[in-house]
Amino acid sequence: MSEFIVEAKGVTKVLGHGAAQVYALKDISLSLRRGELTVLMGPSGSGKTTLLSVLGCMLTPTSGAVRVCGYATEGADAKVLAKLRKDHVGFVFQSYHLFPTLTAAENIQLALDIRGMHGEDARAKSLDVLKKVGLAHKSTSYPRELSGGEQQRVAIARAIAGDPAFLLADEPTGNLHSAQGEEIMELFKRLNDAGTTIIQVTHSEKNAAYGHRIIQLKDGWVVGSETTAAARPA
Amino acid sequence: MPLNLTLALRNLFHDRLRFVATTIGIVFSVVLVMVQMGLYLGFGRMVTTVIDHTSADLWVMRHGTKCFEDPSLLSHSKQTGAAATAGVAEVTPLVIGFSGWILPSGEITPVFVVGSDLQILKPWNLTEGTVRALSGSGTVAVDRSYFERLGVSGIGSKANIRGLPVSVAAVSEGIRSFTTTPYVFSDLSQARAYIGIPSTMVSYLLVKLRPGADLEHVRHDLQASLPDSEVLTPAEFNERSRSYWLLGTGAGAALFAGAILGIIVGVVIVAQTLYSSTKDHLDEFATLRAMGSSNGYIYSVIIYQAVLNAVIGFAFATLIGFSVVEFTRSGALPVLITPMLVLVMLVLTVVVCIAAALGAIFRVVRIDPVMVFTR
Repeated sequence: MSEFIVEAKGVTKVLGHGAAQVYALKDISLSLRRGELTVLMGPSGSGKTTLLSVLGCMLTPTSGAVRVCGYATEGADAKVLAKLRKDHVGFVFQSYHLFPTLTAAENIQLALDIRGMHGEDARAKSLDVLKKVGLAHKSTSYPRELSGGEQQRVAIARAIAGDPAFLLADEPTGNLHSAQGEEIMELFKRLNDAGTTIIQVTHSEKNAAYGHRIIQLKDGWVVGSETTAAARPA
Repeated sequence: MPLNLTLALRNLFHDRLRFVATTIGIVFSVVLVMVQMGLYLGFGRMVTTVIDHTSADLWVMRHGTKCFEDPSLLSHSKQTGAAATAGVAEVTPLVIGFSGWILPSGEITPVFVVGSDLQILKPWNLTEGTVRALSGSGTVAVDRSYFERLGVSGIGSKANIRGLPVSVAAVSEGIRSFTTTPYVFSDLSQARAYIGIPSTMVSYLLVKLRPGADLEHVRHDLQASLPDSEVLTPAEFNERSRSYWLLGTGAGAALFAGAILGIIVGVVIVAQTLYSSTKDHLDEFATLRAMGSSNGYIYSVIIYQAVLNAVIGFAFATLIGFSVVEFTRSGALPVLITPMLVLVMLVLTVVVCIAAALGAIFRVVRIDPVMVFTR
């Protein structure tokens, strides 16, 4: 098994057509190791979300090559990309994107349901992951009954429920106040310490300090990549 | 319960106002279609009510007869030839025709006279008097629902038909005519006089077969011996009469047009509300796509929603439909809702609602999962 979970070589992504065409990513090459917590930083419009979308198999590169868990995504159709996402990627969004009509446990079971796990197995698994994020007692609560931090923890539980190869988190603390944001980062750290690979987009220097590696983007280019003090010895 | 069904159910009840609006739309549409089709069936049954209550195995009629009420006549002499056909047990002449019923006040109202031997065809659902009483001179049977129209009040009431005195000797309950012209039953010879049919002519010959006789064989022989006549089974004559009145007159087309209008209304309402519901839940469908859900899973949520809407709307509509049946039971044209109509309507409602979901499905197909990062 390769030590790299995601590899990108010379990736360029062009969005839009004609006069509206934008080079969102320009010749990006990077490799992300298993077990790492990688942070993507950069100003708005630097290409962070586009890079996250390409690494998360939502978009294919216009040119260059991307391998996710050993599978090439260039030229893959929507069905193949969806399967790669389902099998290997867990997503955490800034706006949580929980289903408001489902309870916390049901939101997690839905993620398992699309993966073919149903019934009692799915219920047990949902409670197990809710316990991991400290919300076992809120399993029957609806999203509207939870605080923003709790909703994000349910979203993280949903993301890890399918045992993905890595988590992609898009500004997971962006909608939370600082104490809740810190709770979420501590949760990410615990999950990462337990072996979960995480790629996170953030604007926060404080959050970035949790990363083993910080990749800086600007105008679609990688302008910096540094290993932090949090990095494990190789 | 599968989680996609749970999600569909919760989404459906989440927006109660929209759910109520959709349900009302479906109920309106289904009731409209059900009542139109119920009228069609009720009309069809009324058209053939006398044929249905006749115990003949075969009907002999003049060639080209369009329906039971057709005034075409046959020569009575054909009865002898028909009776001599192998396999025939009995041949009974029947006369029918419109006439004028003269009320004691002198007012004339049209009636439809049916005259036979009162064995193979006799008035049914008698609540007063007997069939035997109709063998008396100048006696008739009428239906209670037409008392006011005929200016009678029961047994012994007097009137005139074509200047001939008649007396009510039997009263039935529920023998209604789709033409709204009351049926008047009497014996053959009196009916001839009331209608003005000569004794050499009949409207129909009703044939009963001997036990074990082959119907098709007898029919073939009868047809061969009666060249200017037609020999039909009750089912065939039934179908011919129904086709004439429902399709030939355009009455059926009008009922079908109403039903199609109901279907269109249903499709538009369900399509519109499902589309707007799907638009409101786009973030959720985009999240499902981002998580790697198959298109089929997402479609199943929308289709479950459509089917749930259909079943709930249909249940209410059926209750209303059966209320309409009860309300029209003793009316001029009762609505008839059969178990088969209910089943067909259920399937139609579900299919129409699923078809209406296509717009929502096409919208979901175009969702870019990347949108979850930007919302």
